[in-house]
Amino acid sequence: MTRKAFITESDVRALAADLIAAGTRVVAPGRVGTPLGERIEYRVANKVDEILLGQDEPARSLKDFFLPPTDVILAWQEKKDQVELTPVSSTFAPQVIIGAKPCDAAALEIVDKVMDWDYHDELWFGRRAATTIITLACEGGDRSCFCTAVGLEPSGTRGSDVLLTPAAGGYSAEILTDKGEKLVAAHAVRFGADKGADEARAFAEKGRKRVDANLGLKPAEVRKWLAGHFDDAFWKSIALACHGCGACASVCPTCHCFDIVDECEGLGCGVRRRNWDTCQTAKFTMHGSGHNPRADQSSRMRQRVMHKFCIYPERFGEILCTGCGRCARVCPGGMDILEVVSKVNEMACGGAK
Amino acid sequence: MGELQELARKLLADGAVKVVIGYEEGPRGVRPAFITTPKDADRLVFDERCVHNLTMYLTPTRKHIAALGKPAIIVKGCDTRSLAGLIRQSQVKRENVVVIGARCGGVLKDPSVKAAIAEDTVADRCRGCTIREPRLVDHLVGEPKPAPPGKSLVDQKIDELDAMTPEQRLAFWHEQLSRCIRCHACREVCPNCFCVRCLADKAEPLESSAHLRGNMAWHMVRAMHQAGRCVDCGECERVCPADIPLRLLNRKIARVIEARFGHRPDDDPESTAPIGSFQPEDGQEFIR
Amino acid sequence: MNLYQPYLMRVDEIIDETVDTRTLKLAFKDPAVAESFTFKAGQFGEYSVFGAGECTFCVASSPTRKGYIECSFKKVGRVTSAMRDVDVGATMGFRGPYGNSFPLDKMEGKSVVFIAGGIGLAPVRCVIWNVLDLRDRFKDVTIVYGARTVGDLVYKRELAQWAARKDVKLWQTVDPGGETPDWKGEIGFVPTIVGKAAPSPKDAYAIVCGPPVMIKFTLPVLAKLGFSDETIYTTLENRMKCGVGKCGRCNIGPVYVCKDGPVFTAAEIKKLPQEF
Repeated sequence: MTRKAFITESDVRALAADLIAAGTRVVAPGRVGTPLGERIEYRVANKVDEILLGQDEPARSLKDFFLPPTDVILAWQEKKDQVELTPVSSTFAPQVIIGAKPCDAAALEIVDKVMDWDYHDELWFGRRAATTIITLACEGGDRSCFCTAVGLEPSGTRGSDVLLTPAAGGYSAEILTDKGEKLVAAHAVRFGADKGADEARAFAEKGRKRVDANLGLKPAEVRKWLAGHFDDAFWKSIALACHGCGACASVCPTCHCFDIVDECEGLGCGVRRRNWDTCQTAKFTMHGSGHNPRADQSSRMRQRVMHKFCIYPERFGEILCTGCGRCARVCPGGMDILEVVSKVNEMACGGAK
Repeated sequence: MGELQELARKLLADGAVKVVIGYEEGPRGVRPAFITTPKDADRLVFDERCVHNLTMYLTPTRKHIAALGKPAIIVKGCDTRSLAGLIRQSQVKRENVVVIGARCGGVLKDPSVKAAIAEDTVADRCRGCTIREPRLVDHLVGEPKPAPPGKSLVDQKIDELDAMTPEQRLAFWHEQLSRCIRCHACREVCPNCFCVRCLADKAEPLESSAHLRGNMAWHMVRAMHQAGRCVDCGECERVCPADIPLRLLNRKIARVIEARFGHRPDDDPESTAPIGSFQPEDGQEFIR
Repeated sequence: MNLYQPYLMRVDEIIDETVDTRTLKLAFKDPAVAESFTFKAGQFGEYSVFGAGECTFCVASSPTRKGYIECSFKKVGRVTSAMRDVDVGATMGFRGPYGNSFPLDKMEGKSVVFIAGGIGLAPVRCVIWNVLDLRDRFKDVTIVYGARTVGDLVYKRELAQWAARKDVKLWQTVDPGGETPDWKGEIGFVPTIVGKAAPSPKDAYAIVCGPPVMIKFTLPVLAKLGFSDETIYTTLENRMKCGVGKCGRCNIGPVYVCKDGPVFTAAEIKKLPQEF
């Protein structure tokens, strides 16, 4: 059903301006100033000129806008000797993401699987339904990128409603879904006739080659090796530098583990929240008795790798990793998922590549 | 093989230690390394990218490191302040660790890129360094290096914050701390954060949610708990995935402690901290 | 109503089982839910005290007893402390039922051996009453229950009821040194008493719940008696938050305790990575 069109950079901005003017929440990469320097983040754009249409990867993924770091899931209030619950709405105002990384858009579809595993997570899917994603094709990131090793592509369309690929004078736009079609139709004046498709193809090819050079994987072999080597000495060797901080999980587009906590907001009223959590901390699996099934850091690191490259693929037929490389960039101990997985790949393929 | 690598090789070969905790080349620059066999000693590197304070790997919280056996550790002068703190606080026994001191002339802001130490590349905490040659050591390696250039910008920023009205200052910290996602990476890399069970990991009283109220409470508790103990190694700030300027907080408190108690955590394990000692001249107006 | 919204429950009864263990009887506040709510023996739920949080327990009452559920707990953390502080009439929350269950349909027409230690009797008690309420559908019923001391035995009133029944063989035991002068039951660890009770494995299923060490030493005894690993059931308890396979903390290798469990056969457990 996909259809192609063309849009200039100024029309992308004009489209964003139209959306903002109409009261639609627009999320896009932008600069955030801190006393330590500037960082690039996906953020709610209040003005069009805040939107960055470049190649820099936002420090954190898009998941913040679907599974916020902290999210109220219920409110309660005492009324005499009764308790009254105020349900949280799972209907959300429309939002449009402009300039998403293809890996970040794909991550959402990957996480959809667990969020719909027998029980439908209304808060996740409410936000998913309310969001239209315009992705900007990626030229291939840096040395920590390996999306092509996990079945994705720097110009991949997965999870996107519209994919923009740089071409002379603007972007070749691929309209991929009904949601994308609806958005483009509503702003038809911003789009022109299809052109630059060849350039877009060349761009995609170049990006793919660039990322391909970083890592080649045989995911099925990796998964098989992981399933059979739970007690391998390898795990003890890889987690030595790990601080167990979970910064990796916080920037990961697919790490979705959470905690549920109650907080009082005053006397006799409060909220229940869902907060990000991570398998890298000891308390994550600590029993009330003090017993901890994952007592050391190597077992926690193993869990993270297993969940992504073995357990999730077994359960949902998907690798729970987009190869975005953020965990490697952020790790204070210099640990690198690419290095870990490529070692597993080597062992899995018997040293022969 | 260089001096450092040869020393590490010998310590391992002689069985004096089971692991040398140092630095190696990683995919994204220098990173912590745990060398357990003599033949791996040549993986060790030491240069201006070695920003990491490795001493927290010696705390009892790092059971997987302790399991390797007696360690040798490579420290910069500044790191020995943390080491002294750990000895002072009974977390490390001096005789249980072989300390390899490396002479240092400052480290880089960004350890992932090779560069020379200069005004614009040096880590802020190195400016005005007074401990380029570590003293709390068993072995000392490297050549003496010149003092890092420049004056601390953090101190300037603290002066600016001090000049603000309380409302302005609160607004500044609200803006900074609202970015916190409560990953607690600041805690995990801190050599002073060796509590068996951190207050933040208990269900009460600190809220674990990444909202301003919870974030403010967490960072205030942590800052107060660092008072008189923080050596300004800057690791918390370096690892923060949200770029929160945590040194501003810790160094401000260190300045207060220094002004009021004349105390600055040094590299002498025998020195006493204000929290554990009483001096008649200590300010006590708060109990009047 | 989203996935994480609990049913409102009224605390109807508080029973002190031991010094540190308590049972709460909770009734559904919404009559329609009280009417429609069903669960299966072995399933669990998320119980909450508003302001303190949620905690995971099996449903300790039998699915044959409608309109209410019971849970038994020990005070260990913030939520269980709050659960100890509630009074009769207070409002709590409950989400569930979640997870799989004991295969009672498979057990029909067969003998059932219940083996429990300490508060591990809670999930077993649910099945015991389920079986006893449908007594004619099952053959022999044997219960071996032990605790560290006489004071640590839970559901004492029900133990007396089961002891009085002719259609139940009840073996009660306390660890050596845990007896009182007037203790009439066995003295010895649960695995030993299972050996002494020597239930027949013929057409029989065993349900074993208790501390890991008890389970560890009971399994070889059952094997020696002739029970195959496929006929031995137990429950696993891992820290959980969501209960519905999303929060990512209860897995043992590829197995999610909340979705694939909490009930497992000994054969299934032996295949799992040793991480529980």
